[in-house]
Amino acid sequence: MEKSETQDVDNWIKKLQEFKQLSENELKSLCEKAREVLSAESNVKVVQSPVTVCGDIHGQLYDLLELFKIGGSIPDTNYLFLGDYVDRGYYSVETVSLLLALKVRFRDRITILRGNHESRQISQVYGFYDECLRKYGSPNAWTLFTDLFDYLPITALIEDKIFCMHGGLSPSIDTIDHVRILDRIQEVPHEGPMADIIWSDPDERGGWGISNRGCGYTFGQDISEVFNHSNGLSFVARAHQLCMEGYNWCHEKNVVTIFSAPNYTYRCGNEGAFMELDDSMNHTFVQYDPAPRIDEPKMVKRTPDYFL
Amino acid sequence: MAANTDSSDDSLYPIAVLIDELRNEDVQLRLNSVKKLSTIALALGVERTRNELIPFLTDAIYDEDEVLLALAEQLGTFTPLVGGPEFVHCLLPPLESLATVEETVVRDKAVESLRKIADLHSKQDLEQHLVGIVKKLAQGDWFTSRTSACGLFSVCYARVSPSVQAELRQQFRTLCGDDTPMVRRAAAGKLGEFAKVAEMEQLKSDIIPLFKTLSQDEQDSVRLLAVEACVSIASLLPSEDTETLIMPALRNAVADKSWRVRYMVADKFTELQNAVGPEITKNDLVPAFESLLKDCEAEVRAASAHKVKEFCEKLSPDVREQAIMTNVLPCVKDLVVDPNQHVKSALASVIMGISPMLGKDNTIEHLLPLFLTQLKDEFPDVRLNIISNLDCVNQVIGIHQLSQSLLPAIIELAEDSKWRVRLAIIEYMPLLAGQLGVAFFDEKLNSLCMSWLVDHVFAIREAAAKNLKNLVEKFGTEWAQSTIIPKVLAMAKDSNYLHRMTTLFCINMLCEATGPEINSRLMLPTVVSLAKDSVPNVRFNVAKTIQKLSSGLDQSALKDAVLPCLTQLQGDSDVDVKYFAEEALTGLKLSS
Repeated sequence: MEKSETQDVDNWIKKLQEFKQLSENELKSLCEKAREVLSAESNVKVVQSPVTVCGDIHGQLYDLLELFKIGGSIPDTNYLFLGDYVDRGYYSVETVSLLLALKVRFRDRITILRGNHESRQISQVYGFYDECLRKYGSPNAWTLFTDLFDYLPITALIEDKIFCMHGGLSPSIDTIDHVRILDRIQEVPHEGPMADIIWSDPDERGGWGISNRGCGYTFGQDISEVFNHSNGLSFVARAHQLCMEGYNWCHEKNVVTIFSAPNYTYRCGNEGAFMELDDSMNHTFVQYDPAPRIDEPKMVKRTPDYFL
Repeated sequence: MAANTDSSDDSLYPIAVLIDELRNEDVQLRLNSVKKLSTIALALGVERTRNELIPFLTDAIYDEDEVLLALAEQLGTFTPLVGGPEFVHCLLPPLESLATVEETVVRDKAVESLRKIADLHSKQDLEQHLVGIVKKLAQGDWFTSRTSACGLFSVCYARVSPSVQAELRQQFRTLCGDDTPMVRRAAAGKLGEFAKVAEMEQLKSDIIPLFKTLSQDEQDSVRLLAVEACVSIASLLPSEDTETLIMPALRNAVADKSWRVRYMVADKFTELQNAVGPEITKNDLVPAFESLLKDCEAEVRAASAHKVKEFCEKLSPDVREQAIMTNVLPCVKDLVVDPNQHVKSALASVIMGISPMLGKDNTIEHLLPLFLTQLKDEFPDVRLNIISNLDCVNQVIGIHQLSQSLLPAIIELAEDSKWRVRLAIIEYMPLLAGQLGVAFFDEKLNSLCMSWLVDHVFAIREAAAKNLKNLVEKFGTEWAQSTIIPKVLAMAKDSNYLHRMTTLFCINMLCEATGPEINSRLMLPTVVSLAKDSVPNVRFNVAKTIQKLSSGLDQSALKDAVLPCLTQLQGDSDVDVKYFAEEALTGLKLSS
């Protein structure tokens, strides 16, 4: 990047950290730069330790900034985000813009994967579309973002030992190499390996099961064990499901779920968490509470006026 | 008008488009056009704006709420565009219609704009045009127009003839007794401002009876607005009248069966205190405050707990200490152990402020035990609020007394599970260190300060590094060399990269306080050694740190150690290491 471009992106990052959205032109330029960076990345993004792995954010910008306060800021700390940046929270636009701007500015320090909410179909229903419309006065911003989401990588592999994705495993994928040959640059499909990676959940039942999400599968401990063994992995790290403690081991430590949106949707009362991997691949989970907020609605007892 | 000449026809084209778009089917386009209404008006000139644009807009009000809202707002700023105050009344018809629509935000905006332009009317226009509209709205069939009317009385009243004033009072009285609660609410909300423009005689004969009626309304949402009016009205009356005319209603409000009304009293309590004056405060408000602090609803207790400091400050000095000790303090003691966390947290945010009013002995005897309890409260907000306000107690009882009593609790909080509590303690350290002296500090607090450097929260490690710098500034470089620098440098060999980075962050901060000699003898070698670290994040922090460390170093150190190190980093395979190495070389003017 040219020096002046670097400066622009630095300014955008500063602006977004102050909860100010980018202008539509700035957004356009950001998405172009991000597309360039992301399209060069593989379906299986190779990530080195040390790195800090984070789950769902869902537009909770206060909590994302809290996460950086606790885990350290970019570029000093390396991050891997497992998707679901938008929908449900009040600041989806600023959250996803910030992550993209950081990606553009420090491409080797942050990796952002695709979640099921980074799609046209889902983000139209769960709030991101409406937020874009409200904040930009037209659907153009949403179109820019969702066109870019097609370029996000779908999995990451840390030091050949930890395989990371938003959802989980797929019956169509036995080895990590299978992921490498998928054509990911498209809207998240309704079925097939790419949909499974983004949508599946681990389950107590063994084998493959029908997911009640209507997309992806559930997979049992037998599946995780075989997959980890045949690919020489320590475990799979994924997000996609709310955990009250912010993270949750299952399948006898073959799979861990990480969820980084504390008090999800402002009422779940859960903690957020992330996983720190140090330079010797030791992992530590760090849990955190919702950040103090100034302008978001608080849940207080008030009789609404319509009871008149 | 320039717009009529042929040559400007082209320049008018965009305006024609805007006008066209006012009628477009797409809401977005209509909205854009309405937002640029002033441009259209400017191009049309004042005469055509009055004769064509305004009538057109008056007819066009059957639109989406968004468009109407923008229109209502625009019209409030239109006075110069229709030819100044002389013609401002031509804006009334569209705003009148907008003040009757169903959507509340549109109506409110229209009323806001009407209020804005009311002052610009001449006396004559006011009676002739605006008053007519107020009456029409007040007699409207729908509650929407009657609600809007309520907001317009006070802006007309002062400048019309006594006979019209009498009519307006009559109208307002009718609205206060309206069947629809929404209208009575609007009237109650505007009663205070209406009272301010009325003469004393009418205030007593007309307004106060209305206040009494509204304060006994069957709807609590009306009664609570009467409490607001109470503040304005009481401040207008001499104190003996306040006692007879206002206080009965206020006493009722304090004991109202609806918690929302009592909450409103608590929320407005210090304003009420100002309005009724010291004598009534002493006799009436002190017991009233007591009862609100003991209210059965947590919301009311929290709202009044918030007011404890301000209320006490505003008591007249001759009764203050007595009232605090006998009336307020017993309630405060109960609130410290309130079952509701919001109540405790509200109290904790202001309680330290009472200390200066009570003086040293009372603080030690009565308040310190309360602070101690709060420092150990199970809710972090409570602990945090106390720690963050410790300094106002320092001034009263002295840091020595304070630290003696609170030190054990503070040490415990230094390891609190909530990082913001730990942060507040760290920020308090330099003050404590300065007061306690180096020996006491080394014995009791030094190990804490070092343990924060390996905290799992980055913000704590960062604050800990900054704290070290403040301590060195207090205790000097000798102390730094013997006590903290060895420990900081030892972390450079830690197996966890976060700790190696902390060494660099500390040096980054410390080097300002330690000076060139220590910097080049002790710090620089460690920093340079980390340039070969396997983790790129450590390497580019070497570049960042070395840039800061090098200011003040002599040329030979720059040439022998700094330059080779940065040159090596400049050739690094990592983009960010390269970038920060180049930044450092440029910053130090070493780049070739």
